[in-house]
Amino acid sequence: MKIRRIQDTLIRAFAMLIVLALVLLGTLSYYYLHKILIQNAEQTTMQLVSQLNRIIENYIRYMDDIALMAINNADVRQFMSRPHADSPQLRGKIEATFESLRAVRRDIDSVFVITRDGRAIAATTGGALNPTVNLRERFRELEAGVVPDRPSVSSAHVENLVDYRYPWVISLVRALPVGPGEESPGLIQVDLNYEIIARLCKDVQLGTSGYVFILSRAGDIVYHPRQQLIYGNLKTERIAEIMSLHSGNLNAVVDGRAILYTVVSSKDTGWDVVAVSYMDELFRASRQAEYVFLMLSLLVLVGAIAAGVAISSNISKPIESLRHSMQAVESGNFDIDITVSARNEVYQLARDCDIAVKKVRDLIEQNRREQELKRKLELRSLQAQINPHFLYNTLDSIIWMIELGETERAIDMTSSLARFFRIGISRGEETISVRTEIEYMQTYLEIQKQRYKDKLSYEIAFATDLHESQILKLLLQPLVENAIYHGIKNIEGPGLIRITGERAGESMVIRISDNGVGMAPDQLSALRDGLIEPRPSNGVGVRNVQERIHVYFGLEYGVSFESTPGAGTVATVRIPVISGSAT
Amino acid sequence: MRSRSVLFLLAAAVLAAASLTVLYRGARLLNPVSATARRVIVIFKTIDYRTTPFWGNVRDGVVSAGEDLGMNVQIRGPAYESDVQGQIDIVRQAMREKPDAIVLAAADFNQLVPVAQEVKRQGIPLVCIDSFVNSDDADVRIGTDSYEGGQKCAAALMRYVKEGDLVAVMSYVKGSSTAIDRESGTRDYLDGKVRILDTLYSNADAELAYSQAARLIAETPRLRGIVALNDPTARGAARALDESGKAGSIALIGFDNSLLVLRFVERGIIRDTVVQKPFNMGYLGVTTARELIQGRKPARFVNTGSVDISRLNMFQPENQKLLFPVTEGP
Repeated sequence: MKIRRIQDTLIRAFAMLIVLALVLLGTLSYYYLHKILIQNAEQTTMQLVSQLNRIIENYIRYMDDIALMAINNADVRQFMSRPHADSPQLRGKIEATFESLRAVRRDIDSVFVITRDGRAIAATTGGALNPTVNLRERFRELEAGVVPDRPSVSSAHVENLVDYRYPWVISLVRALPVGPGEESPGLIQVDLNYEIIARLCKDVQLGTSGYVFILSRAGDIVYHPRQQLIYGNLKTERIAEIMSLHSGNLNAVVDGRAILYTVVSSKDTGWDVVAVSYMDELFRASRQAEYVFLMLSLLVLVGAIAAGVAISSNISKPIESLRHSMQAVESGNFDIDITVSARNEVYQLARDCDIAVKKVRDLIEQNRREQELKRKLELRSLQAQINPHFLYNTLDSIIWMIELGETERAIDMTSSLARFFRIGISRGEETISVRTEIEYMQTYLEIQKQRYKDKLSYEIAFATDLHESQILKLLLQPLVENAIYHGIKNIEGPGLIRITGERAGESMVIRISDNGVGMAPDQLSALRDGLIEPRPSNGVGVRNVQERIHVYFGLEYGVSFESTPGAGTVATVRIPVISGSAT
Repeated sequence: MRSRSVLFLLAAAVLAAASLTVLYRGARLLNPVSATARRVIVIFKTIDYRTTPFWGNVRDGVVSAGEDLGMNVQIRGPAYESDVQGQIDIVRQAMREKPDAIVLAAADFNQLVPVAQEVKRQGIPLVCIDSFVNSDDADVRIGTDSYEGGQKCAAALMRYVKEGDLVAVMSYVKGSSTAIDRESGTRDYLDGKVRILDTLYSNADAELAYSQAARLIAETPRLRGIVALNDPTARGAARALDESGKAGSIALIGFDNSLLVLRFVERGIIRDTVVQKPFNMGYLGVTTARELIQGRKPARFVNTGSVDISRLNMFQPENQKLLFPVTEGP
């Protein structure tokens, strides 16, 4: 199984979460920002356009007021319907009336009276009528567009009624109302200076390059800031779509740019006032917001990753250190304190681990002490097994010596016995130096020599460098005793016990040989078996020796026997060389 | 662990790069009135718009394009169209200011050649509008196809005269490139259809045109048509024709659209006049300059076209703007 570090998992999760959140937030806010921007733009533009439309309608209404006033003027009516009443005086009166109107409102370029029979009065700058214009024809053209009792409003056009002046105007025409079935004898045409409308439209600010244009009821352009470009096919507008819309908003792509058309139709004029807003300009604010959002996103992302690193290292570092501690424990080092810097569950976990490890350590220690104690107790019990017969026999010998009056020998033997026991019973140390052991054996052999007299002689030869080596207390005495009791005691003639000690590498080899009766093979094997499987009745002392060596030094050490019947026995003890005093 | 920190560094680098990009783009974004607005100097033959409304119309196109494209457009020019040296000085001054492009209406076909070469040497894109220079130095030429204009005049004339009729062609400046082109367009069209008298040259002088036309009309009773290839010539010829009282039998075709010419058109003295599109010249001059600045390769010649105007169509909405520019404030 692939192990993932908590830190990585956390950072990854953090980054993913933040990115997801940002993308979601960005998309949503982008979407809503756009929606709001479009809504705002639509509303604002609609307000602007409606306002512009109202202003234009006001102008038109004002023109209509003038037309109505003119058409209701008695002089004008007389001029229209009574050709024979036409006189310079009448014309002068009418002209004066119109001129006073024009003087008040400079946005009125001209006021014309045109009659069916081709007469006309012009109140205009310059004054003279254009002689090339056929007035009857003009009357018929104008009359065609007029509904009785209603004004008709033209698109922007060049007015050629005035001689040598071609002003751009918007014309409002009203015919003199007459009874049903009758032909109207004349009409009034009021020309509004086109520049007024143009300026009104131009003053509407729609972004940096947005603009307003006006379409007539027929779809002709009343005003467009780039009219020439449209005629030159250098620019297009979606006029058909706009015309079908009447009022509202329309999205379109024109000449490669996404635009928003905002259209308001006027009932009075029949015109469509159309605002053109460029989307890219509308969304400039949005792009700024996007930019700010992107910057913030990057900041948040960096911050989140930093926070992820900090938080996860806060969590994983203690775990890591705990893991290191536990690895140390795994490799057997219980002697450590497990502490982490965190103050959370990991801290509790570490504390629990610490307690557990300490408990294990205590248990191990306790176990070790118990084992040691057990071993010591075993050793002690083994050491205590000094053959009691030796004491009885010795004491018997001493009694006999006293009874026979051999006081000196009795004293010697008693003091030897005392020394023997002082060494043997001495408490505390489990091991003694080889030298002390030798001394001990000498004491023992001296005591036995009192009993066996010339029948027992002995030699002790230890390499001198072994003298200070440690040996288990009273290890050799049972073997010596064995050699006496089972070896030389039963032979005729003098018996010799040789005890030698030599070094073999890191081991010490001690041989105790006698020239006694020796052992038959079955006897020897019984003894050897006894070394392995203790038999209570036989060879207690020897088995004791073997067990003590095994317990204290390990199974690779021990005692072995070689024997030839009639020639003697050799007991070989192998123990390690331990210098100084061991435990 | 090591590869992770490398990865982390990489991610940090990517983040930093992204931030820088965003920062750069954003800085431009937050400053909508970009300091990088392109500067174009437009040099007219004259900036006396009152006497030559043609240039007022060109100016309207130039200004409109500047507004539409968000470019910094400066219009200059001598007070008189005849001040060729004045225009050369203006071009030199413009070069010193190191604009992003220069739009030039050459006051003289040949005399402006050296200065056009200088502009070219400086690596400033050069667009010629209306009138060109007699060299290859303009990157783009925008104007009326004069040959085509001449053909339109001839086509208009053919609506009023019969095959085999006698007609006259009145040109203006002998050797002027536009005059040559207009005349050959006219002659090529009329060739084989009607009989054509020798070309008269008015030197673009209305008075000279008047006297030439008056003599022509008086001495050539069978004359049925006159093509006058520029505005003053048309004006002069129209006056002579008007005074001769033969406007009904002799069809006069003019060129361009001064108010006087239009009055004659309205009265039917001039039957048709072929008009150019100065607004479009100005507008396209600036848009083409921008294309050059942006390193694009626009067509080397743009024909802004011409329109045949008669009494019948002169007040049609699409022609009104062309013929009667809305005079705006100063």
